Formats: sequence, C-alpha cells, structure tokens
Amino acid sequence: MTTVDTNHDHAHGGHHDEGSYLTPRGGFWSTIWAWASTVDHKKIGVMYLFAVLFMFFLGGMAAIAVRLELYEPVRQAMDATGATTITGQLFAPAGAESIDTGNQIYNRLFTLHGAIMVFMFIVPSIPASLGNFFLPLMLGAKDVAFPRVNLLSWYIYVTGSIFGVASIILGGVDTGWTFYTPYSTTTDADHWRVFFMVLAAFVLGFSSILTGLNFVVTTHKLRAPGMGWFDMPLFIWAIYATSIIQVLATPVIGITLLLLLFERLFHIGIFDPSLGGDPVLFQHFFWFYSHPVVYVMILPGMGIISELLAVHARKHIFGYRAIAFSSLGIAAVSFLVWGHHMFTAMGELSSTLFSALTFLVAIPTAIKVFNWIATLYKGSIALNTPMLYALSFLFLFSIGGLTGFPLATLSTDLHLHDSYFVVAHFHYVMMGGTVIAMVGGLHHWWPKMFGKMYNETWGIIGCLLVFVGFNVTFFTQFFLGTQGMPRRYASYVDEFHTLHMISTYGSWIILLGFLVHLFNFIHSLVAGPKAPPNPWGGLTMEWETESPPIEHNFHHEMLVKHGPYDFESVVPPHCDEAEFPLPPPQEGAGH
Amino acid sequence: MTTPPTPPAGADQIVSDAAAPAANAAAQAAPAGPPIRPYLEDQGGIHGLFFRNEGHTDAIIATDAMYMLIFWFSAFFFVLLMFLMVYWTIKYRRRPGVAPPRSTAHNTLLEVFWTVVPSSAMLVMFFLGFWGYMDKLVPAGNAMELNVKAWKWDWGVTYPDGTQSGQLVTLGGRSDIKLHALPEDTEIKLRMSSNDVIHSFWIPDYRVKMDVFPNRYTGYGFRTPALGPEDDHAEGRYRDHWVFCAEYCGDLHSEMAAIIRVMPQEDYLQWVKDQGSTGDPIIDGKNVFKRKCATCHSDDGSNNIGPTWLNNFGTERQFIDGTSAIGDENYVRESILNPGARIRAGFDNQMTSFQGLITDEEIENVIAYMKSISEAAGGGADDAAGDGDDAPADDAPPADIDAAGEHG
Amino acid sequence: MATIDTQRADLPAPGSEGHPLFWKNRGHGHHFRSSAEEFDACKLGMWLFLATEILLFAGIFCAYTVFRTLYPEAWAEISHSLDWRFGLLNTVVLLLSSWTVASAVRAAQRGRNGALILNLVVTLICAALFIFIKLKFEYMVKLDLGKAPGTWFSYPYAENPQVPLCWSIYYMGTGLHALHVIIGACLLSWVLFRAIRYKAYGPTHYTMVETSALYWHLVDLIWIFLFPLLYLIH
Ligand code: HEA
Ligand code: HEA
Ligand code: HEC
Ligand code: CUA
Ligand SMILES: [Cu+2]
Repeated sequence: MTTVDTNHDHAHGGHHDEGSYLTPRGGFWSTIWAWASTVDHKKIGVMYLFAVLFMFFLGGMAAIAVRLELYEPVRQAMDATGATTITGQLFAPAGAESIDTGNQIYNRLFTLHGAIMVFMFIVPSIPASLGNFFLPLMLGAKDVAFPRVNLLSWYIYVTGSIFGVASIILGGVDTGWTFYTPYSTTTDADHWRVFFMVLAAFVLGFSSILTGLNFVVTTHKLRAPGMGWFDMPLFIWAIYATSIIQVLATPVIGITLLLLLFERLFHIGIFDPSLGGDPVLFQHFFWFYSHPVVYVMILPGMGIISELLAVHARKHIFGYRAIAFSSLGIAAVSFLVWGHHMFTAMGELSSTLFSALTFLVAIPTAIKVFNWIATLYKGSIALNTPMLYALSFLFLFSIGGLTGFPLATLSTDLHLHDSYFVVAHFHYVMMGGTVIAMVGGLHHWWPKMFGKMYNETWGIIGCLLVFVGFNVTFFTQFFLGTQGMPRRYASYVDEFHTLHMISTYGSWIILLGFLVHLFNFIHSLVAGPKAPPNPWGGLTMEWETESPPIEHNFHHEMLVKHGPYDFESVVPPHCDEAEFPLPPPQEGAGH
Repeated sequence: MTTPPTPPAGADQIVSDAAAPAANAAAQAAPAGPPIRPYLEDQGGIHGLFFRNEGHTDAIIATDAMYMLIFWFSAFFFVLLMFLMVYWTIKYRRRPGVAPPRSTAHNTLLEVFWTVVPSSAMLVMFFLGFWGYMDKLVPAGNAMELNVKAWKWDWGVTYPDGTQSGQLVTLGGRSDIKLHALPEDTEIKLRMSSNDVIHSFWIPDYRVKMDVFPNRYTGYGFRTPALGPEDDHAEGRYRDHWVFCAEYCGDLHSEMAAIIRVMPQEDYLQWVKDQGSTGDPIIDGKNVFKRKCATCHSDDGSNNIGPTWLNNFGTERQFIDGTSAIGDENYVRESILNPGARIRAGFDNQMTSFQGLITDEEIENVIAYMKSISEAAGGGADDAAGDGDDAPADDAPPADIDAAGEHG
Repeated sequence: MATIDTQRADLPAPGSEGHPLFWKNRGHGHHFRSSAEEFDACKLGMWLFLATEILLFAGIFCAYTVFRTLYPEAWAEISHSLDWRFGLLNTVVLLLSSWTVASAVRAAQRGRNGALILNLVVTLICAALFIFIKLKFEYMVKLDLGKAPGTWFSYPYAENPQVPLCWSIYYMGTGLHALHVIIGACLLSWVLFRAIRYKAYGPTHYTMVETSALYWHLVDLIWIFLFPLLYLIH
C-alpha cells in the first residue's frame, strides 16, 4: 500500500523537495486564490486562526465597552452632569439624552460580546484553528478525511459571521446570547437584526458540525500505521471527544434556532406563551446544546494543557488513560446536565435530578486536574511562556470549576443564578480555561506553524499581565454576585460601585496583556529568528517534520516508533541528547 | 430620538399640593417618607466578604452555611493543589544538561483515591443543597399570600385584601422605586406571573429568586425577619431589602428594582390602608400613573420609552402607518388595553397590554389625570403643582403618595 | 468534480472506458492509503451525518410530545382532519423507493450500470410522487381551508385555541421532511447523472451511491415515525 501511495505523490508533481506550505506559488492574486480555494488543512487552520482571533478582538472590544459602562453606577452620573450612560455618550452622543438610549446601547453591547465570543470565537477557536492544523500532523496523516468539507466548513463559518456582523451593522441585537423567548421573538419586531443574529448562530452550527464530523472520521481512519487508540496524543483524545459533542449537540440548536426564526417570522407559537407555546421548552432545547457546548469549549483546551505540561516538564503524562477516558466521560455526561441553568425555571423534581447529575460531570474534570498536577512531580520544568500559560490555566480553571459547585447546589443557586457570580464563574472557565489554553498552545505551536520564534521575555510579560488583569477583573465579580448584583444590568445601585470600578481597571490590564502578545506575534512574523523543527523537544509527530511543515506534511509515510510522552527513553527528533538528556536506565522500571 | 418638547410655562406645577382637595390633606402635610436604607451590616470575616449582612431567618442562615461549606471545601483543594503546583515547579525546574529523575506514570490506588473522596463530598453537597432548596420553595401553610405581577419594567404587588401597593420612593438619582411593605416575622408566600416576557423576582437579602413567566404561576416562600432595636431609625422601626429583576427583560431591565420594607405589624396595617383610594379621581389617577406607567411615560414633558402625558390628551397625533387621530377617551382606553392597535410615530411598540392589570375605575382615573395635565383638555398650566419627578435627588417624593410611608 | 472544468480536448469522451471518471479508472484521495479506506471513511462520515439529522428531527419530535401531552384535544382535532389514506399511500411510496435505492446499490456493486440507472429512475419517480401527493392532496387542500401555520391560520371552525400551534408543528415536521426528500432526490439525481454520463460506479467505486442511499433510507425512516404520530394517533 505504501508503494501505491508514494506513486500517487509523485503523480501530484513530485512536491517532495518543495518548501513549506506557506511558500507562495505564483503572484499575489494567484496566491490569494490558492489560499481561498485550498483544501490543505494547514492553510485552513491558519485562516481559521486569524478569523477567530479577529472575532476575539471584536468581542474583547465589546467587553472593554461593557466594563467602561459599569465603571459608574450611572444614576449618579446622570444627576451630577445631566449626562446618561457612559456608552450612551460614546456610541450615540446625539441621542443620548435619555437613559433608555444608554441602556439600549449597553444591552446590545453585552449581547454582541456574548454572541461573538461564544458562537464566532470560542466554539470554533481551538478545534478549527489549532485542531485543524495539528490533528492530521499528530496522527501522521496527510490531511483530514474530507478536505473539501473542511474548506466548506470554513466558508460556512465566514458566511455565518457575516450574518452576525450584518446584525451589528443594522443596529445590534439586545436579546442576550441565550435568545430566551418570548423576549427574543418580540423585541425589535419591525427589524431584521435579531433574525440575522439567530440565522448567524444557525449557520455557524453547520460549520461546527462539519468540522466535528471530519475530525471524528479522521481520528478513526487516518491514524498512522501502528498508532493504536492509546498511542494517540491526549490533544487528539480531547479533540475527538469534542467532535463527538459537536456532532451530537449542534443539530439540536439547529432545529431550535430554526423554530425561533419561524416563530419570529410567522408566529408559529411553539415558544410563545400567548399562543399556547412554552418558553421553558425553548430553554430546554437551548441548554441541551449550550451546556454540552461548554465542554466543546473546554475539552480542546484541556487537550492543549496535557501537551504543554508533558512537553515542558519533560514528563510522561501522569495517568494517561485516566485523562483520555475522562475526556470521553465528560462528553457523555455533558448531555445529561443541561437543566442546571434552569433551576429557577423548573419544577422540583427535574431540578433535583439535574443538580445530582451536574456533580457527576465534575468528577472526570477533577481527575484530570489531579493528574496534571501529579505530572509536574519529578519533571524537568521549563518556565517559558507556554508553560506559564499551562500553570495559569490550572490556577484559573480550578477556580472556575470549583465555583461551579455553589451553582450546581440547589439552595445556593437560587441565590446565585443570573448574578455576577455566574458571570465570574463562566469567565474563569471560558477565558481562564479555554482562552488561556489557546494562547498557551499558540505560543507552543507558533514556531511550528510559522517557522519563526517569538520573543520569550515579552511572551512572559504578556502572560503575567493577562493573568493579573484577569484576576483583578473577575475575582471581584464573585463578591458582586454573592452580594446581590444581577447580571445584564446597565446601571446598578451605589453599593456595588467600588467592586465594579476595580473590575474595570482589571479589564484594562488584560487588554494591555493581549496587545503585548499581539505585537510579539507580529514582530515574530516580521523579524523573528528562524525556528528549528523541534524547539521544545516534543515527541508527537508534528515535531518530526519541518517548521513550518511541508505541503504534504511529511517526507515519508509515518510509522509509530514510540509513544507521545516517552521522554524518559527517547531523544526527541531533530534534538541532541546534550540538550535533552535521558535519565540513566533503571533496573526493573516498569514504565 | 426626538428632543423632548419644551413644557409650557409652569407645567411642573400641575396637580398642586396646595390646590389638592381636602381628601388629600393628610398627604400634603407629609414630608418625605422614611429614607431607604439598604440592609447593610458590616460583619467582617470571610462571610462578610461575600454577604453584606448576616441572615436572620433559618432559611438564610442555612443557605449561607451551605455556601461557606462549599467555599471551605473548594479552598482546601485549591490551596493544596496550588501549593503542590508551585512547590514542584520550583523544585523540579529545568537545569540545562541535567536529566530528569525517573518516576512512575500512574498509580491506580492514588487515582481511585482521588476519584472517590471528592465524589463522596459531592454527594454531601447535593443532599444538603436539596434540603435547603425544598425549605425555600415550599411555603409554610399559614403563609400570607402576595400576588406578584411583573411587566416591563416594574412589579405590581397585590395584598391579600386586594390592595395594590406602589408607594414610590426616591433613592439616589431614581425617583420611581416602588416600595412594598411587609409585616415582620411573618411567613410570606409569593404567587407570581408576568404580563409579557420572563422576569425573575430576586431578593438578595433572602438569598432566593424564581423566574416569573407569562401564562403560568411560580412562587416561593420566605419568612420576614423579626425586627429588633438595630432597626430603629429616627423615622420608626423598619428594615429595607432590595428586589431586583434577575432575568433579562429588555431596555429597562436594570431599572426594574423595588424595595421590600419590613415593619412592625401595626405600621404595616396602617400602610396597607393608606394605599387605598383617596376618592379624588385625579389624585388616584396620578397614583395609578406612578405605579404602573411611570417607567415609560412621564408627566413632565419628556418623552421616554413612551410619549409624555403632559399636554397630550385631546391633541392630534400621527401614527406610524401615516394616519392620525385625536387622543380622546376612547383612544386612551384603546392604548391601554390594546397598545399595538395604533402605534404613535416616533415610538416602538414597547407597551404591553394592561388588560387584566388595570381596572375600569383605574382607567377612568388615569384619563382624569391626563386631562388635568393637558391644556387641550382644559387642564394644564394654571392649576398645576410640582410632582417632584424632575426634582433633585434628595427632594421630597410626591407627597400625595408617599405620605403613606410616613406612619412608620 | 473539478474534472469538468479542466476537461481537455485530448480526454476520452465521457462514458467511454478511457475517461478518468469511469469507475475502473478512478483512484482515491491522496491522503487515503487505499480506496477501501476512503470508502470506510465516507461511510462513517455519512453515518455521523445521519445521526445529526436524526437529532435535528428529535427536536420536532420533542416539541410534538410536549404539546401532545399539553393539548390532547387540539391534536385530536388535527389528526381527524388528516386523511390516513394519503399518509399510508405516501408510506408505501417511500418504502418502495427505499427498496429500489437498495437495489441500486446492489447493482452498482455488481457493476450493472443499466440496473443502477433503472433503479435510480424509479426511486426518483417515487420521490416526485411523494411530493406531489403531499402538495396536491394534503397541503393545498388544507391551506385552502385556512389550516395554515402561524399568522396565516384562518380556519374559522377550529374548536380549540391551540389548534394553530399544532398545525404549526405539523407543517414544521412534514415540511422539514419534505425538504429532506428534495435534498435526497437531488443527491440521487447527481448519482444518476454520473452513472449515465460517465459510468462512474462499479464494484470498486460506489461510495457515492451507497452514501446517497443511506441518506434516502433515513428520509424514509423519519417518515415512518411521522406517519403514525400525526395520522394514526387520535
Ligand atoms: C468552558 C465553559 C464551562 C465549563 C467547563 C463549565 C464547567 C462547569 N459549570 Fe458552568 N457555565 C458556563 C461555562 C462553563 N461551565 C457558562 C458559559 C455558564 C453561564 C451561561 C449563561 O447563563 O450565560 C455556566 C453556568 C453554570 C451553571 C448555571 C448557573 C446559573 O445560571 O444559575 C452551573 C450550575 O450548575 C454551572 C456548573 C458548572 C460545573 C459544575 C462545571 C464543572 O464541569 C466544573 C468541573 C471543574 C472542577 C471541579 C474544578 C477542577 C478540579 C479541581 C480543582 C480538583 C479539586 C476538585 C474537587 C475535589 C471536586 N455552570
Ligand atoms: C469566550 C468567552 C468570553 C471571553 C473571552 C470574555 C472576555 C471578557 N468578558 Fe465576557 N462574557 C461572555 C463570554 C466571554 N467574555 C459571555 C458568554 C457573556 C454573557 C453575555 C450575556 O449575558 O448574554 C459575557 C458577559 C460579560 C459581562 C457581563 C455583562 C452583563 O451581564 O451585564 C462582563 C462584565 O464585566 C464581561 C466582561 C468581559 C471582559 C472584561 C473580558 C476580557 O477578558 C476581554 C479581554 C480581551 C480583549 C481585550 C481583546 C484583546 C485582543 C486582542 C488585542 C487581539 C490579539 C489577541 C491575541 C494575539 C491573542 N463579559
Ligand atoms: C413598557 C413601557 C410602557 C408602560 C409600562 C406603559 N406604556 Fe403607554 N406607551 C408606551 C409606548 C412605547 C407608547 C407608544 C407606542 C404606542 O402607541 O403603542 C405608549 C403609548 C401610550 C398611549 C398613547 C399615547 C399617545 O399619545 O398616542 C397611552 C394613552 C398610554 N401609553 C397609556 C399608558 C398607561 C395608562 C399606562 C399604565 C397603566 C402605560 N401607558 C404604561 C410604553 C409604555
Ligand atoms: Cu424584568 Cu428583567
Ligand atoms: Cu452548564
């Protein structure tokens, strides 16, 4: 079979000795066309990367505006200066004489922030960018199973995002990212913007399904010869579990949003209580997707953390099987807990059931965290930017996850639901978990993707800024929540002023941190030193090819010769033993 | 947004306290009601960081205890894990050229241990939380039932005797916060429903909330605290609690607050009595306006969500479909019961129908009040008096309504 | 598929044994190790896709269950005005088409292009018949009476206030299904086109036939659920 394959490659024009996938072929326009029509998973991954980072930037700017508004309780400002809300003055200076305009602008801002961050940034973020790039590389494959479907998925993503941006240009949407009915079916009745935003989420769902489907098949069918399920890197396990959730959960949001669109257009009544419909049914449908999707967000992040910890601590990951299986466990249980978002909307029986199941989903996560910490034991830990990010992840995600408990506990959730406690919880898991892991992974794989090194010092500075700023911004919000600050409030009573002020200062530190990263990356692309094929001494297959990888990924058919984490017995490819020394052989050592 | 029309001279003098009929005599004399004092109590400690006051009923104490239990459980594991993480990171930091020591890659016993221990702790959390939850949801049998109606963007509370509360108080820059009195040390049961979208009735000081839906009833129970000397103020004995709307419901979601004021039994009874009719349709109409309409309409000439009522009655208006009409009694009635029928140009169809939320008598009173502040209807400029809507923050709230709070 | 654009003059005519799309001449994607592997991958992909389709309809079925329990009388009213005979007819039509599409796969596996084409044609006729019956004898009749979804509902004799809601669910469910029938028919037409023009399918290359057939079976399966739920339960 190998022979057939090699022939095939030659038939393609003998690209073997050709340069990296980044090498432009032809002039400017033909290069553009080559990218726009590419079916190469690496190029698609890079395109996704830039798209999601752009969306992150947009969403982040909306967040900065949200924080700016909350800097003042507003009612006071109105009295003293006759002015209205801060964002009201900023975005609608002409029409801002009334408090309502200010509120309307704020409500649109946090909706845009949430919708962009969830649908356009975080769901595709890691799987579609880093996953697309590294899944085939780590499996030793030449591409994903369905390269054209992959490209299609990218174009669907772009289409969906355009709908989303259209709704912003048309004036924004004020439903919250959750689109709860009957508010979402009645607000802005004469306008199309809610329609476009819902349509955007609907379309983006298809992109998500296609990506997930592609990855599942790739993992099943395209592993390099000799790679059993338990020889796969943990990142693959995580992506695999994620993809399963994507495939199984996304259709449900599809039909939900479709019904919502019809509800808006034709008042079919399914979710409209005044026509006999049931708004709680919408919430069930919505969370049936949107709870599993929080694990779509976090599982790839967890996969990255497993890689970062193992490589930068040069340690066989502790409890490989436990981590691999817990990914699947999380994926399975994640479908059973959606009701914990509705404790204040459901009957006692279902609330009780969902509370119990929610605790269940925390167990596999706790197992992962314990195993990661144990991995550090007796390692050889390099404190570079990716590792710092991995440690930040452990810190922040633990807080985020642990604060899930008071939310999962029925009696306390009746108090905490829809308060800033929830806001803090989910930023600790989404931003402190997923985003932190993604930025860490980006630094880890940056040399491989673009063939350039980034500046380590600036990387570390950026990481510390983000870490500090993040805690300043969001730790305060736990106190706000328990003290009684509801979420989605444009103005609030004076008692919360100090805490909100601190939180706003924090958001500026985060911004600074990300700007440092941004300039570091740009600098690296323009003037960074050339990256060696394996700067960190990694053992997974992507480190065996060049940096950046050649068009067809590998020079020859890959064969599995060692496990992904055998740091104690294998000198990493392209590395010499002086730099990455092996421990002396030990007698009777089992593993 | 349209610029607010300039009010005619003296427009803020409408329904003057001075010119008010005798029926309102008690009210006129009254100064501002007792000030709002959000229930803040510095208690220090970790609990004090999270909660602004100590709970004074069993349900609150249990909830806080539950929270603190989870907190300490989480803090324990968090500190332990973070300590190990930092300690090992420092201890095993990379030294160039030095090989890492060999170590094992898994340990079944350890893994079973750290699966089983947290799992059993979670079981405990779940059961305790479940009991606390049932305690809060199931009201006591003898509880006093309040009917809560939610609409964009206010709460209406109906007392067991049919009285609707709506004393308006001023706090900071806000003059339209509604105050609902409750007797101390009493079991209360809420029966809530909404008139438009989903809202959520949250009383942070009681650590409980529940969503409020259109077309169905939800509710919960709580016990008001027994007041003590710490609640004595110059104006009487009372304790204030915030109510916030905790489910996003549109433009003024963040303004949908109210105050629950717990007071001794006799003060409470007096208060409820004072909420009733004054006998004067204009005053009563103004009260209805304050209770139900002031979130979106004004009587001072400024257009908010809806058009102002000042000089509105009897004038001609344009609708978004291009037609126009004179705003007479029938039109006002239609606007209240079926607001979507004709939408005034320059406004969105934001108003929800008040069908079932407003009685015929109230509608008539509202019309009377509208007439009284409209020149076109013969009311207006001359016989008017201020209502405090645009008064400075610390100014007296409208006396005709707020007098009621004075008896405390 | 790019072949059509880049077709050069020196290429053998479509349908001739030398054309690259003739099944004996077809290779496999360069990232697969063999055609068999590619076939397996495509089939797995299709199964996953079918899973998503089932979950899509699951939403409708859930809504159906909820409202059936909430408003049994309204549903009874609807079921009574649905003629089970047309439903049954359509069920038979779809079952028949499932059988022919299965035979089409069989024909492709055995390299009998003629049988493949014939079976596909019959399947497509069944699809058209299904849509025709649905439109002509069901939708049109009801729409004329005003039994329409949502805002269009104008049937004056509805006894139950929830009847419009239930009609909406009926239209959402059957409409979405009809859409899938059309999509499935498009897929099969594409297969038919390639079978006629290029003889593109044979024992080693029938992935497209197989996956389209799988999709068609799913469409059939969903109808098997819709039919009794809507027409038979009173
Ligand atoms: C990445 C996304 C993500 C993740 C991973 C999680 C993880 C968890 N979430 Fe979170 N959640 C959200 C995103 C996420 N959540 C969002 C976006 C919302 C709000 C949506 C909205 O309303 O807008 C939300 C809301 C939300 C609610 C509803 C609150 C409300 O509105 O009333 C609840 C309630 O149960 C909850 C619980 C949990 C739990 C128990 C976990 C668990 O999986 C956590 C498990 C993790 C740990 C347990 C910590 C790590 C382990 C250790 C440190 C070891 C020690 C641990 C032990 C000894 C147990 N979440
Ligand atoms: C991925 C998810 C995600 C992320 C990352 C964030 C990030 C942030 N969020 Fe948000 N947030 C949500 C998801 C997210 N949020 C959701 C779902 C809601 C609920 C919405 C709703 O209620 O409907 C919410 C709501 C929400 C609220 C509550 C609003 C309310 O209820 O009234 C607040 C308030 O403080 C807030 C603040 C912030 C801040 C300050 C950040 C900051 O951390 C942002 C920092 C980021 C930047 C400043 C961008 C900088 C980027 C670059 C410079 C580009 C270059 C980058 C690289 C090279 C890496 N968010
Ligand atoms: C949710 C906000 C809201 C509330 C609460 C509200 N209204 Fe309105 N109202 C509006 C809006 C917006 C309009 C303009 C659009 C329209 O004509 O429906 C309006 C229009 C009207 C009009 C027609 C005015 C005109 O000049 O054409 C009348 C009369 C009216 N409201 C009376 C009332 C009364 C009485 C109440 C209280 C019992 C009330 N409204 C409560 C929002 C509100
Ligand atoms: Cu009412 Cu929010
Ligand atoms: Cu959840």
